[in-house]
Amino acid sequence: MQYNWDWGILFRDPYIWWLVDGLKWTLMIAMCAWVLAFVLGSALGIMRTSINPYLRLIGTTYVEIFRNIPLLVQLFLWYFVFPELLPEEAGRWVKREMPLPGFTTTVWALGLYTASRVCEQVRSGIDAIGIGQRNAGRAIGLSEAKVYIHVLLPNAYRIIIAPLTSEFLTIFKNSSLALTIGVIELTSMTRQIEEYTFQGFEAFTAATIIYSLVTFTVMGFMLHLEKRLHVPGRIVVEK
Amino acid sequence: MIHLKNVSKWYDSFQVLDNCSTSVSKGEVVVVCGPSGSGKSTLIKAVNGLEPVQKGEITVDGMVVSDKKTNLNHLRARIGMVFQNFELFPHMSVLENVKLGQIKVLGRADDASEVKAKALLDRVGLADHANKFPSQLSGGQQQRVAIARGLAMDPIAMLFDEPTSALDPEMINDVLDVMVELAHDGMTMMVVTHEMGFAKKVADRVVFMDEGKIVEDAKKDDFFGSPRSDRAQLFLSKILSH
Repeated sequence: MQYNWDWGILFRDPYIWWLVDGLKWTLMIAMCAWVLAFVLGSALGIMRTSINPYLRLIGTTYVEIFRNIPLLVQLFLWYFVFPELLPEEAGRWVKREMPLPGFTTTVWALGLYTASRVCEQVRSGIDAIGIGQRNAGRAIGLSEAKVYIHVLLPNAYRIIIAPLTSEFLTIFKNSSLALTIGVIELTSMTRQIEEYTFQGFEAFTAATIIYSLVTFTVMGFMLHLEKRLHVPGRIVVEK
Repeated sequence: MIHLKNVSKWYDSFQVLDNCSTSVSKGEVVVVCGPSGSGKSTLIKAVNGLEPVQKGEITVDGMVVSDKKTNLNHLRARIGMVFQNFELFPHMSVLENVKLGQIKVLGRADDASEVKAKALLDRVGLADHANKFPSQLSGGQQQRVAIARGLAMDPIAMLFDEPTSALDPEMINDVLDVMVELAHDGMTMMVVTHEMGFAKKVADRVVFMDEGKIVEDAKKDDFFGSPRSDRAQLFLSKILSH
């Protein structure tokens, strides 16, 4: 194989700035989508464990819809199909006139999809705590809302820190799908470098390393968080 | 103070409570006993609405528990409850466990709640453990914290659901001592327990349940002297023989 290795390409103007810019968009997609997924997913998780059957039904229906359609299909549905279902004015706005249409659509698609997964984790966390704690909260007169705020959620989040970390890492990696609708994020920038310079090996090696560095940083941070929130006297697996 | 009238409850087609009627007067200590699966725990949880019932009426201090219009949170804040598995809030220190209801339900100030919590922990003999977390305490200590948590709400009555069943034998007495003291102080108590020693010492009445029915509801001396039903006699002969 004839291949001229040139690792220096990665540090040359403008390619290094392409990578930086791509990383910036990847991180922005991941963070915005995560905020949406975490808030909506938590609300849905609470609904799924609620005593109100209608709230439970809403939560379950949401999960069944959003968890069972492939993410890429959802992204295309939001980007290509959804605007067509709107009145013409609104459809045009969503397609072109709203700020950053590709970015915004990716954030919503990724956020709504991941919310269904966060919901299931929050639900399993709450279920793991058991009816006893719920009753103990009720027995001192806490309202249902306060039982969640002061008893169930603080314990549920502690239980699910590890799977939530995985979920954030997944949202970060899934953000690369944005390139399919033309968002110039990290993977897309990497391909662009390859197309301009034919140094594909170097470009994708760089992308791999950048993705890994971010995930390792997140893992380190979450491990720190888990230790900080650790309840004294409870058994933990030494890491 | 607590009145149950013809209370029945079903889980699907299985009847767990069958036409139960009894009452607890102010200052009275009533022990509920019976074989496992007889509905004791369900009965006591029905008193503060943790277990809804389908038929009959339960009133506590004039409030109808089964009435949809009754503010159950308000009612529960006035009745302390102690569970078999303690159910302390694991992410809070012992002190915070006893303060939570005072602050979030009664709206007491933080410093007043703390003073009250510390006094109650002292009363159950755990003043030194205020800043520990529940899982750093033994079962008996946890259960005494749970009693303090209930008392912190200045309850008009206390419900105990098998408070010593999950404890090592040597821990049981620590918890029972606290309960005996409470009874002597005039607290209205409904206690589900197999501790017949406790019943003999402080109970005013004993309710015996079997298969969801209240088989016997008698003054303590009558119950231990000569239970009227064969089922209660059999039960007593089995658990009092050791």
